[in-house]
Amino acid sequence: MKEEIISIIAEVLEIPKENINEKTNLVKDLDVESLDLVDLVAAFEDKYDIEILDKDIKNLQTVGDIIKYIEKKHV
Amino acid sequence: MYKLYLEKNISSKDLLKKVLEENDIQDKIIYNEYGKPYLENNPLYFNISHSGIYTALVISDAEVGIDIEKIHMPKNALLHVCNEEEKRLIKSVEDFTIMWVKKESYVKYLGIGISYGLKNVDTTKIKDFVLKKVGNYYISIYGKNLK
Repeated sequence: MKEEIISIIAEVLEIPKENINEKTNLVKDLDVESLDLVDLVAAFEDKYDIEILDKDIKNLQTVGDIIKYIEKKHV
Repeated sequence: MYKLYLEKNISSKDLLKKVLEENDIQDKIIYNEYGKPYLENNPLYFNISHSGIYTALVISDAEVGIDIEKIHMPKNALLHVCNEEEKRLIKSVEDFTIMWVKKESYVKYLGIGISYGLKNVDTTKIKDFVLKKVGNYYISIYGKNLK
């Protein structure tokens, strides 16, 4: 699942997946703005059939945070 | 009362510094629990937004929120952001961008940000947004009694 999540991030943000690892910080390292972040969240919701609450988004700072969050939700 | 500052190729931090200097304000910046910045002692409110080449900053004598966004519509975001009525009303990329900047300026006005829940901001019912178009960008400002 980890590789798949990284591939989705790369596709949605249109960046090479080689630039992304678990420690990558979306805002600080990738300059992700809020609309792109919401777009990414929506892509995960669609792919994994989960609901990501807006109040949780502020906690999804690194790619590792996203992987942990989705793994927990997608049982 | 509000005043909008819009500049190209400047960081949010540098534009804030410039505006505070212009208005002769020397005050510490403090943040609420959601990260909204305030001046510690000065009664003036401010809010900042950045998109592409632009940074927009608004100052006001009351709580205020601002958002600037380049006109575009990411392919997935619509479903997460809009309620059914908003989805029905959005006919173009411009419509989506306008709705987005309105929602963002509103949740930033509240001082809560996205955590408030974007679908909870019904742009078909909330009025009094100040909306501006600059080139390929839209700016929305929300606050009470903006003139």
